[in-house]
Amino acid sequence: MSPIAIEVDSPPQSRSFMRRFAGAPLPWIMPVIVVIGIFYLYPVIDVFRLSFTNATLIGDNQDYTLGSITNALSSPQLPDILWATLIFVGGSVIGQQILGIAVAVVVIRGEKRGLFGTTILRTTALVAWVVPGIAGGIIWQMLFSEAPYGALNSILRLMHMPVVAWLSDPAIAPWSTLISNIWRGTAFSMVVMYAALKSIDPSLYEAAEVDGATASQQFFFVTLPQLRAAILVNMILITIQTVNTFDAIITLTGGGPGRATEVISLYVFNIVFRNYDLSGGSVLSVLMLIISLGLAFVYASFLPKEEEQ
Amino acid sequence: MKSATVSAFALSTMLFSASTSFAQELATKDRIGLADAPKSLVVRLTNDSPNNSDPAIAEGYQKLFVDFIKKHPDWKLQMQFMSSDIGTEQAKMLEQAKAGNAPDCAAVDSFVLSQFMVNHVLADFTPYFSKEEVDDLFPFIRSGITDKDQTVRAWWWDTDLRVLYRNKSIVADAPQTWDDLKKAALASTKEGMEGVLFNGGRWEGTTFDWLANYWALGGKLVDDSGKPVFGEGENKEKFLKALNYFKDLVDSGAAPKRVSTIANYDDLNAAAAAATTALFIGGNWQYAQLKATLDEDEFNNWTFSPIPGPSADQRSTGTGGWTIASFSKDKDKVEMCANLAREVYMGPANALQQQLPTRKSLFDKYEVFSTEANKTFAKALVDGQARPGVPIYPEISNQIQIMMGDVLSGTKKPEDALNAAYNAALEAYKRL
Repeated sequence: MSPIAIEVDSPPQSRSFMRRFAGAPLPWIMPVIVVIGIFYLYPVIDVFRLSFTNATLIGDNQDYTLGSITNALSSPQLPDILWATLIFVGGSVIGQQILGIAVAVVVIRGEKRGLFGTTILRTTALVAWVVPGIAGGIIWQMLFSEAPYGALNSILRLMHMPVVAWLSDPAIAPWSTLISNIWRGTAFSMVVMYAALKSIDPSLYEAAEVDGATASQQFFFVTLPQLRAAILVNMILITIQTVNTFDAIITLTGGGPGRATEVISLYVFNIVFRNYDLSGGSVLSVLMLIISLGLAFVYASFLPKEEEQ
Repeated sequence: MKSATVSAFALSTMLFSASTSFAQELATKDRIGLADAPKSLVVRLTNDSPNNSDPAIAEGYQKLFVDFIKKHPDWKLQMQFMSSDIGTEQAKMLEQAKAGNAPDCAAVDSFVLSQFMVNHVLADFTPYFSKEEVDDLFPFIRSGITDKDQTVRAWWWDTDLRVLYRNKSIVADAPQTWDDLKKAALASTKEGMEGVLFNGGRWEGTTFDWLANYWALGGKLVDDSGKPVFGEGENKEKFLKALNYFKDLVDSGAAPKRVSTIANYDDLNAAAAAATTALFIGGNWQYAQLKATLDEDEFNNWTFSPIPGPSADQRSTGTGGWTIASFSKDKDKVEMCANLAREVYMGPANALQQQLPTRKSLFDKYEVFSTEANKTFAKALVDGQARPGVPIYPEISNQIQIMMGDVLSGTKKPEDALNAAYNAALEAYKRL
């Protein structure tokens, strides 16, 4: 509703009130600022504060100290945890991105040709995204089960192939968690890529065809450059999402065997809820925030500038 | 005559609908008692409640709760239910209790009771249970619920223990020692079985089930002050011996490598149902589950015996269970919570779920506990040992789970894995 309309409909008193605040943005955005401040900003500030304390879940007293930061960051487990996180996040982002584009391209091409099953394909991919993380973990636990009746190993046996220690081998388990996470996140990438593909001007393809470009040349020299912004935005979103993922891992492997699949979000969960170390958990949460923001800034720096667009 | 029939029909319909509506009002999904009852008690429970996934158990609890509230008509129970992620639920509840926002009455897992005690958030239950009732408790239960001033801080109403299940048609005799178990498991693999199964994944069950072997050797996790001691002196030797025993089971093929992925007692039931194993270490409650899952003929092949020890006379088994405690400062609510523990849980709920009672006399009171199986379980409680009620225990358990995975998968040598676990537990202890 425009300010003019408000003036026409409002009684004289409220008209002067509206006029007074019509040009001032603060009163209009204040409710949003309050909500964001209370529900988003305050917890973040409190996590920063707690990381400078020695707070535990079971103690009443807390003092301000830098000890929690040095303890948490010098922990001998941290390098292994960060390595497991790097594999999990890096692999998930690359896998989800590539598969997301692939499925979106197949769906778009299928739709263009009026092929039967494109909607089914799209919906099937989305189902994985709708499934809660914990349920996804249970589903993959059944698939990866190394019991004689485990699903994937039974298929391998039928094909006379050697079975795989999907979850009990520390060298293979990280890849199993990666597969389950790629399965779950591909649908999100597909939706983003599908929308971006739909917005590409068809005349670019027509021009490429006139120039005699092959399908792969069209993909690499027309499609991918046109998807650049969508790919980078998608990478920011799925990186942040994956760094924070632990529900699927906790049900699939619990972080094991040993610490083979313990990513930083699960490590923080264990530190707070098993070790009751609130300050240590806060320090690592801040570290997670820095990692996510750092990666987001790196991706964002590659986004096309306004003049490029 | 016709009008009399109509009147009778109308009256019976009215009475039926009145009683139905009364019953409905008395028990909804999140409330037991009349909605307009003047007094209210917020109760947070596990699946040991009308929220149980087994409809028969859920219905049984519903009846117990309705009968209970009929005796206390001024009250209504506002029901809250925990998820299966017990560790997190209990940690959250502790935080709420410290902030003064905890439920009035709740289920507290026995092994984290000490965390609640050291934070002084539990109400005093002493006035509501007689000396005879307290004396009737098994000693480890009694010491678990009383603080250093001998004040009763919760009522521990059920307990459990771990045993070795075996398929008699494949393993005829009960293994008595570690060596016996290894031989029996290896023999079973020759008949196409997986060998002996046990929890070895990242969860509490892995630590708890294995600890029986360490306790059988006389090992201690913490000293009297609650400081971890499992990685030094004699304890270290015993710990390594018990750890190497499990490693040897896997290395020799007596247990499959996949045990390091087992983090659920249901996986053990599944293997029994699929007839892929003849031996597994599980909880006493699984006997009833096997009975419900297997065909009668198959079930008759299954039996259980005490967990083998390093020698036949060195035995131990882990015992756990749930307590009911109050976080309220209102004496009426504390009393009502104690009433709930006494009238619903201390006995009736044991019988309903066949959960072992914590009082000796209750084994004779309820017929379900007179079965051979339950009598044997009750006898085995003599070797029962509870986890130490100290704040560092959850982290010790976490470290043992990590250590077990590293050792069973061959990532670390037992001594290196133990040293890493011990150092991490000590570091965590310093921070608490």
